[in-house]
Amino acid sequence: MSDEPVYRIYGKPGLKKSVLIAGWAEDAGHLGMQTLDYIMQDSGSCEFGEIRPEDFFAMAGVNVEEDVAVFPQSKFYVSGNRKLVIFKSSMPRSDWYRFLNAVLYVAQKHCGVKEIYTVGAMLSFASHTMPRLLMSIVNSREMKANMAPFNVVDNTDYETPIGQKPTLSSYLSWLAGQRGINAANLWVPVPFYLLTLDDPRAVKRLVYFFNTKFDLGIDFTALDLQIAEQSNKIAQLFRQVPEIESFVRRLEVGEGLDTEEAEKLSQTMADVFRRKPKPQQ
Amino acid sequence: MEIRYSSEPDLTNPVMIASWPGIGNIGLIAVDSLRRSVDAEKFAYIEPWEFFYPNKAVIRDGQLMDIMFPSSAFYFKKTGRNDLIFFIGEEQPAEGGRVYAEGNKAYAMANLVLNVAQRFGCHRIYTSGAAVAPIHHTMRSGVWAVPNSPDLLDELKKYGNVMLMSDVEGREGRGNITGLNGLLLGVAHRRGIEAVCMMGEIPIYLQGFPFPYPKASKAVIEVLAGALNITTDMDSISQLSVQSEQELSNLYEKLPAEIKDQLDRLKQVNASASEGTGVITEEDKKKILDDIDKFFKRGGEQH
Repeated sequence: MSDEPVYRIYGKPGLKKSVLIAGWAEDAGHLGMQTLDYIMQDSGSCEFGEIRPEDFFAMAGVNVEEDVAVFPQSKFYVSGNRKLVIFKSSMPRSDWYRFLNAVLYVAQKHCGVKEIYTVGAMLSFASHTMPRLLMSIVNSREMKANMAPFNVVDNTDYETPIGQKPTLSSYLSWLAGQRGINAANLWVPVPFYLLTLDDPRAVKRLVYFFNTKFDLGIDFTALDLQIAEQSNKIAQLFRQVPEIESFVRRLEVGEGLDTEEAEKLSQTMADVFRRKPKPQQ
Repeated sequence: MEIRYSSEPDLTNPVMIASWPGIGNIGLIAVDSLRRSVDAEKFAYIEPWEFFYPNKAVIRDGQLMDIMFPSSAFYFKKTGRNDLIFFIGEEQPAEGGRVYAEGNKAYAMANLVLNVAQRFGCHRIYTSGAAVAPIHHTMRSGVWAVPNSPDLLDELKKYGNVMLMSDVEGREGRGNITGLNGLLLGVAHRRGIEAVCMMGEIPIYLQGFPFPYPKASKAVIEVLAGALNITTDMDSISQLSVQSEQELSNLYEKLPAEIKDQLDRLKQVNASASEGTGVITEEDKKKILDDIDKFFKRGGEQH
């Protein structure tokens, strides 16, 4: 650890009163990253700072994902319309308190952030054809009132079970509250068989929320295409493997699957969506 | 990283007894049972933020009401002779998925605990942990004692059911105490404070089990109560110890005969150690652990 600040700012975001949206790379269904990417892509965002990785991640090689070496990063972006600050990050491995306080410091001091949202996925045993709910956990009564007009599920009661840990998003939200910043953790249930794949319907639910709340003027065409493509592939799979369709239909009417059936459904979906074209000879 | 005090007790010639979780939570359960039995009062805690990730979130009606952290708390009990300070750490400030603390945070935590010890003039510190030993679970657990100064060796030799490292077969006085239960001894030595770690014996084949081993905690309590010259209610820990032995015996009956035969040889270890015949070799230990590991990986079924 050095004495230098744990963050670097290399652009001037030029914001006085803004909103921060944060997501984590390790999120199930890639939901957080895909949501932030979609919002950023549509609003011409640019990068302006980062949390330096060396204090928070094990500098012991790199992970390889989808054939590519991936180095942890924690970067800040400002949207083209100057309304949003986006924070995309890998989950730190240590010193979470210092890490999250650095995020909040950059948000408050450099961007005048007054509200924070985190985005993430939660496990669902419903089918992918069911409408995606948006669940909100806020850190203040004021934020709860703020979220009320947006059709969110806002009455969750929960205590972390023994042996489990609270999410990093909850921790960020709590620390934000200590600094007087309103925050909401937004969660979209993702069907268990899409947890390691993509869930464009869940992405759309989150993007739709931000578009409505902050009047971002986002074009949903690309997302709608992804949803249609996924639906087509699954329909094709149903024709080829009727048993898979029967599993999904049972989930639609609230019937559970046993472990073996659930594993078969997840594995078959993974096979279909991860299948790559064979290299040409 | 600060210590927060809710009161400033006036203590006479105090002794500190500290523990963090470890194998079978043997030390932690022993120290916490002692604390409860003397009804010690909380007076300070170490701020958790820079040491720990939270361990609990409480959400009510969609609102995050609180986030809680593992506690690192100090308690005191006035006895009229040597007053007592207890330190109970719910977690070791470990990183990267490790169980035991090491590095800067561990050192910082040890120093904060010692700051409290010195503030109140503690002349002696006890820590407690587990000693993984080639014993059988039906045998009485011994207590291995490691002081941070050779000046304490003669005193420790006088305690019943206590072994020094040189008394343990094959150790030749050497060993290692992992994590803060050990580190505190070293840091205390740097500050010129006497310290002893008392480690209750846990059978070698139970070291990886995710449940406590109260028989060893009981052995530690007996030794500590004697060293501190206090009387303590042993009913609760004795009851837990009996219950745990019963559960282990039930599990033991389900082991394949070959593994049971191996483990039964551990019943002869104490006798053989004094005779120097070495019934259980290092190779035997490895085989026992491998067999046990395989048995539980198969889901415990017999073949």
